[in-house]
Amino acid sequence: MIMDSSVVFSLRLSLQVAFAATVLIIVIGLPIAYLLARKNFPGKELLDISLTLPLVLPPTVTGYYLILAFGRNGFIGRYLYKWLDWSIMFTWYAAVLASFVVALPLMIKTGRAALEGVDRNLINAAYTLGHSEWETALKVTLPLAKRGLLAGIVLSFARALGEFGATLMVAGNIPGKTDTMPLAIYSLSASGEREQAAGMVVLLTLVAALFLYLANRYSRRIF
Amino acid sequence: MIFYVTANIKWNNLRIRGTEMKRTLTIFSMLCFIFFCAYPSGALADEVTVSAAISLKNAFEEIGKLYEAKYSKTKVLFNFGASGDLVRQMVGGAPVDVFASAAQKDMDDMNAKGMVLPGTRADFAKNSVVLVAPRSGKIKSFEDLATERIKRIATGNPKTVPAGRYAAEVFDYYKLMSVIKDKLIYAENVRQVLDYVARGEVDAGVVYSTDAAVRSAEVSVAAEAPESSHKPVVYPIAVMKGTRNEAAAKAFVDAVLSKEGIAILKKYGFRIP
Amino acid sequence: MGLSVCVNKKLTGFSLDVSWAIGDELAVLFGFSGSGKSLTLQLIAGLMKPDGGVITANGKTYFDAARHVNAAPQQRSLGYVFQDLALFPHMTVRQNILFGAKGVPEDERNERYRELTETFYVAALENKRPSEISGGQKQRVAFARALMRRPDVLLLDEPFSALDTPLRIEMRAFLKDLRKTFQVPVVLVTHDAGEAASLADSIIVYSEGSVIQSGSTADVFSNPADERVKRLLLGQEDALRTFDKRR
Repeated sequence: MIMDSSVVFSLRLSLQVAFAATVLIIVIGLPIAYLLARKNFPGKELLDISLTLPLVLPPTVTGYYLILAFGRNGFIGRYLYKWLDWSIMFTWYAAVLASFVVALPLMIKTGRAALEGVDRNLINAAYTLGHSEWETALKVTLPLAKRGLLAGIVLSFARALGEFGATLMVAGNIPGKTDTMPLAIYSLSASGEREQAAGMVVLLTLVAALFLYLANRYSRRIF
Repeated sequence: MIFYVTANIKWNNLRIRGTEMKRTLTIFSMLCFIFFCAYPSGALADEVTVSAAISLKNAFEEIGKLYEAKYSKTKVLFNFGASGDLVRQMVGGAPVDVFASAAQKDMDDMNAKGMVLPGTRADFAKNSVVLVAPRSGKIKSFEDLATERIKRIATGNPKTVPAGRYAAEVFDYYKLMSVIKDKLIYAENVRQVLDYVARGEVDAGVVYSTDAAVRSAEVSVAAEAPESSHKPVVYPIAVMKGTRNEAAAKAFVDAVLSKEGIAILKKYGFRIP
Repeated sequence: MGLSVCVNKKLTGFSLDVSWAIGDELAVLFGFSGSGKSLTLQLIAGLMKPDGGVITANGKTYFDAARHVNAAPQQRSLGYVFQDLALFPHMTVRQNILFGAKGVPEDERNERYRELTETFYVAALENKRPSEISGGQKQRVAFARALMRRPDVLLLDEPFSALDTPLRIEMRAFLKDLRKTFQVPVVLVTHDAGEAASLADSIIVYSEGSVIQSGSTADVFSNPADERVKRLLLGQEDALRTFDKRR
């Protein structure tokens, strides 16, 4: 395995992107999972379906939608460009965005199941003892759903780490800037540099296996 | 994906009743039947597979129709992409009858591996390298690429795309490489470069003049690279040694080199060597 | 001191319409399973919203459909003991009981904690998890937790139904002592006639979403209003004997 600077860069970039995407996923995904688990409102199932779509759609379709939205002429991107003279395309932020979108459904599905699995009576008991919904969520609901939530986080991180299709479309594959490990492996094998690719492949496989193991351990109670 | 969906449906139905499950299984098997029968598996004997540089897409598709009109029993299957990627595929075992690349190098690579059928190689087209910008772009020359205004420049990945190599040669000729290195966005093939420019994702790109013509409404040609700034863009075509239908493959090459083929190439802006 | 309940609620396939009031006593909501007793408790606690009616306790209005008053469960001064006790599995006994002290001033908190845990003989268990203590101990912890805030009313939803007979008898004695020590009105839901006979000061008989008889225990047992009440009091002999022993 040849560990030259480009391999090290790709590794660091992949971890950076996956970590940033996972933070976003927790901050945004957890409240959504809570909402879906505990509340009823018109359009709830529609929201669930649209947020789950990236899980079943091919990543290239997700990438297509992201370009439609965030491309320089996209319906969000054009305003970004107009006001900030900046486009997210071909930056590592776009890689974070792609990873976020495809891994979010994992957090939401697992998180929702974990939160729904908390005994209703316990939550009701907390209310009768005078604790507000927010306090109950913090002191009762979340701690009791901890294992399932952790499983969701681990799965999301692993998915974010391995994201390729949508990332390629919105971040491009720019050596030294946006070539995460999956993208670097793609270019290396496409140009015949098999040995360097092999090193990264082994590394990614080990990391993925490790995360699956962790996710299994945490989720044994709900799966 | 279909399995995920049907697995969900089936699960819900299993809880209900036996007849519901039978109905679901019938629909499911119908879908499978449709899917599997719609795509005949295996290659038919009367097929010619042509791997060609993607800049040849429009011209070759038209030549293909010409060919099929003449040889009604034979179907032409095209595989367009960056020449470097196509070489990888063939080296990896892809069954290709005819190969046409956008640079001598890729055909030389195939020849070095002994995969070219001797006596069938011929140069059939020439092209120019141009600098393009989105229609509203204000760039006038290659030198403009060094200015602050230009933040992103798209070219093909030099490792696999001939247009990317030509672009690098042009940049070296104008001594721009060190300045613009950080602005480069690599695309997988020359048509993707064109797409990035047409969509306005980048400020400029380097493609062939024939590509710029295909999307002339969305891109404008800012400058043409002088012939001395890069290796001559000469397209070779050849029959591959592993061809399963030598006669049909040779006939396709002949079609490209024929009077009608040349007229089609010229129509799309290629020059004839 | 008292609780007044007048509520109606429609659910799929079931309709509840009841009206009753109690003073400082132990009242039993008595009837077959599914007759609306637990639902009534949930409405009193504010865990579900009635379609119409008024609920007041100790002079405070918790719900008034006409005046659009609907206090959140957190604002109602009630102690609720659930059927499965609902002790928090991830907290110790001490943390569970203190969880019930929301809104109690700091200095009083420890006082009350000590008082309750000593009275209920659970002080030694404070660092154990609910999974590590016995059924009877869990019961007493649940009661301690519910009483931390000195609620105006105690609502008990069949808390003893999962216990075996010796423990059940022990808990009945416990409840009687509790009434003597803390003068708080209690609403107890049960379908066990023996329990009603042994504990109730007054009985409110439920059947299919309405009250079909209410009155002092003596009245209900000696003069059941109709066949349905008689059926409910099957096993009457035992119950009457228990009741007579009380007198």
